[in-house]
Amino acid sequence: MNRTRRVETMVELLRIVVAIAIAYAVALVTLFAVSEEPLYIIQQFILGPVSSVRRIGSIVNLAIPFTFTGLCFCFMYAVNKFNLSGEGIFMFAGCISTYVAINLGEGLPAPLMILVLLVVGALVGVVITMIPAWLDIKFNANIVVVSLMLNSMLVFLSTYVLRYKMRDASISSLGSLPLPDNASIPTIFGAFRIQAGLFFAVIAVALVAVLFFKTVFGYKMRVVGSNPLFAKASGINMAGTIVCAQLIGGALAGIGGTTEILANYDRYKWIASTQHGFDGLMVAVLARRNPLLVPVAALLLAYIRIGADVVNSKGDIPIDFITVIQGIIILMVAADEFMGRFKKKLIYKAAQENLAHEKKEEVVAPATEGKEE
Amino acid sequence: MPKEVLRMDGITKIYGNGFVANKNITFWLYEGEILGLVGENGAGKTTLMKVLFGHETPQSGEVFLDGQPVKILNTLDAISKGIGMVHQHFMLIPSLTVAENVVLGVEPMKNGLFDFKKAVAMTQEVADKYDFNIDPMAKIQDLSVGQMQKVEIMKVLIKGAKIIIMDEPTAVLTPQETDELFEQLMLLKQHGHSIIFISHKLEEVKRICARITVLRHGYCLGSYDLKDMDESDISRLMVGRDVVLKIDKEDPKPGKPVVHIKNLVKINAAGKRVLDDVSIDIHEGEVVGIAGVEGNGQGDLSDVLSGMGVYSSGVVEVNGTDIKGRTVRQIRDLGLAYIPEDRMEYGCAGDMSIRDNIIADRYFRKEYRKGFFLNQKHIDEIVDRYIQEFEIACDDKSQPVRMLSGGNIQKVVVAREFTSGSNFILANQPTRGIDVGAAEMIRKTIVKKSREEGTATLLISADLNEVLECSDRLLVMRKGRVVAAFPKANQVSEELLGEYMLGIKTMTQEEMEGLL
Repeated sequence: MNRTRRVETMVELLRIVVAIAIAYAVALVTLFAVSEEPLYIIQQFILGPVSSVRRIGSIVNLAIPFTFTGLCFCFMYAVNKFNLSGEGIFMFAGCISTYVAINLGEGLPAPLMILVLLVVGALVGVVITMIPAWLDIKFNANIVVVSLMLNSMLVFLSTYVLRYKMRDASISSLGSLPLPDNASIPTIFGAFRIQAGLFFAVIAVALVAVLFFKTVFGYKMRVVGSNPLFAKASGINMAGTIVCAQLIGGALAGIGGTTEILANYDRYKWIASTQHGFDGLMVAVLARRNPLLVPVAALLLAYIRIGADVVNSKGDIPIDFITVIQGIIILMVAADEFMGRFKKKLIYKAAQENLAHEKKEEVVAPATEGKEE
Repeated sequence: MPKEVLRMDGITKIYGNGFVANKNITFWLYEGEILGLVGENGAGKTTLMKVLFGHETPQSGEVFLDGQPVKILNTLDAISKGIGMVHQHFMLIPSLTVAENVVLGVEPMKNGLFDFKKAVAMTQEVADKYDFNIDPMAKIQDLSVGQMQKVEIMKVLIKGAKIIIMDEPTAVLTPQETDELFEQLMLLKQHGHSIIFISHKLEEVKRICARITVLRHGYCLGSYDLKDMDESDISRLMVGRDVVLKIDKEDPKPGKPVVHIKNLVKINAAGKRVLDDVSIDIHEGEVVGIAGVEGNGQGDLSDVLSGMGVYSSGVVEVNGTDIKGRTVRQIRDLGLAYIPEDRMEYGCAGDMSIRDNIIADRYFRKEYRKGFFLNQKHIDEIVDRYIQEFEIACDDKSQPVRMLSGGNIQKVVVAREFTSGSNFILANQPTRGIDVGAAEMIRKTIVKKSREEGTATLLISADLNEVLECSDRLLVMRKGRVVAAFPKANQVSEELLGEYMLGIKTMTQEEMEGLL
């Protein structure tokens, strides 16, 4: 049986690599059809993102919000609730943090100011997630529908706050008043221009991993997610665990939104949903719902996105093209049965080898017994 | 030499989790015989039959029908080749009539619409030919288990099956219904049908079969003529050693009542009284068994006691405290340990490790945690100890439970429930579908705990042998009521038990006085 386990782990890893390879192969073939200079494009796509320190920095910066929303969806997955409100929370938390920052002004020292704003972001996340989570537990309202509706409401709510509560009339485009200087998350690592939000992300991953695998709450959450009926029969408080997990997830999405605004923008100007939430969903799927793999998946996704930007600026290929490649990768990693046959074959082979060993011992025993009859 | 209608040659079946269920099995069937396919749970009997019926594709091996090599693609293909299977769990639609169920798959049509009259006529024809005494117009939900099984057999016959696979047909029947089934099978045999009779009840095999094929751990040990074998010969072949079905136990010394159930009534969503005025006391140091045809309220009683289901009225007390409105956790705190009927649904989380499964009922206790964190060291220690104590065959404690065999999964469940420190064990079908070794260990532990630790046990089981051997007091449930009570289980015969289970006999309240 031990061999079965090894085969399963190996195929799991191999599968991701093969999925990426296939996606790139498809990309290459398509490029030959649509592009004048396919080799240059593919080279840019693969090597472009790592060709300068600035771009590497961009990958990391892009991976930070993905990590937060990815962690958020790890929690939703852990308790089997497809609560998609992370998307709307990310935007709304950015909006509310800006509003609070503008109103607090320059009074507080920077570290304290940032901390306060992160707490605001987290609280926004908790309060918002509470809505679909509570409706689900209390009235069995379909959580996917509720959270999707909630997302569009949040987009308009954010736009309302932007337009009527904090709009800067002195600039021509739609944008909030500038964020005070003490609210800005600084850039670190010199030429890489990586934002200090990286630290928050790393801490978040570590804390979440500990929460998942070492704490009593994480244990409860895993049991509830793995088999709810068993959890109930064992006397685990289902409703409490399910709601709490979602609230923590919401808080993470909120912190992600706040970090994004404070680190990369001088004022709030989102007027459409940022898609970071749905990207986080993808990251969580790629990471197989394991918080420790979330940063890896987030970096991978960011790498593909930056590659797309590079190609877009250099060649004759539209950015939409990259979305297709990305789709192929996600599809193959998410499809549980992709390479399933290969896995089974390996398992059969291992089992047959085992069988050949054990046969000698077992067949001898019954044979001698037969003689007694 | 009789004609060979079926031969399966060198069948090897490996499941996706690496489990090898059939190892190079060769097996044949003569025309007009009843062949016993015997072996322990998990020996590969059902898998072999699933291969024959087109449910599973083997990795290697060939199938011959009437000497011709064939490939069975799926179950429809199997049916069209004259193979029929009567499953252990009935596949019937309760709200439809017998005729509608029987013709399913070969529905008679008239002007593009279902021809009910014709369906009834077809069903009646089969019933007359094979002497099934059953009304084609009756609804399935109004039938007894024995009658439902007849409908299953008619379903197979109407599709023209020559080879009939019966997967543990007697498991759900009372002794009386079993007798009736056997007469039916002999009749089918006379009509030239060939029957594969799967069972691990040896006396039944001995009664009805002339030849047996024995499987063990996925291997075929060969075919034997039953003329010159007795039951202990067969059992030694099946298990590899002598099986002791008797449990030695001293008389119980019942103490104070641990569980007190008074006038318990449960009316289900359909308005049926599934528990009808049930009153039972279970005392310290005794094992109370409940026998009954499945679906007569045993499951509902188990749900009420475990806190998984609600009840309508009555009093249920565990160690003196009423459980009304209490959560599963609170009832467990009062002293309940619960071995659920379906271990994969309620007894474990398959994807989680043995370790995580064992602590599910106690992770919150002081010795298992350090503040917000789990006390890994302590948990590892006790889990390692239980793996040894309960002889759980596994790689290590981090192995996912789904990779274990059925018997070992059940050992994980009992390792948790037997060590929870509770003084009331609710065991619902604790040994269903697991190998003899594991079943023996579980039964012995139940008795041992009652004698040595004074545990009160309620044992619900469809396995008559199990309730008769393990229980001290024995009750029979029928239609949600307790219809019989015996002070000493090992002095009751299976036949007598069957009469109460079927409702041929019923005890009055006075007769049961003092035994509930």
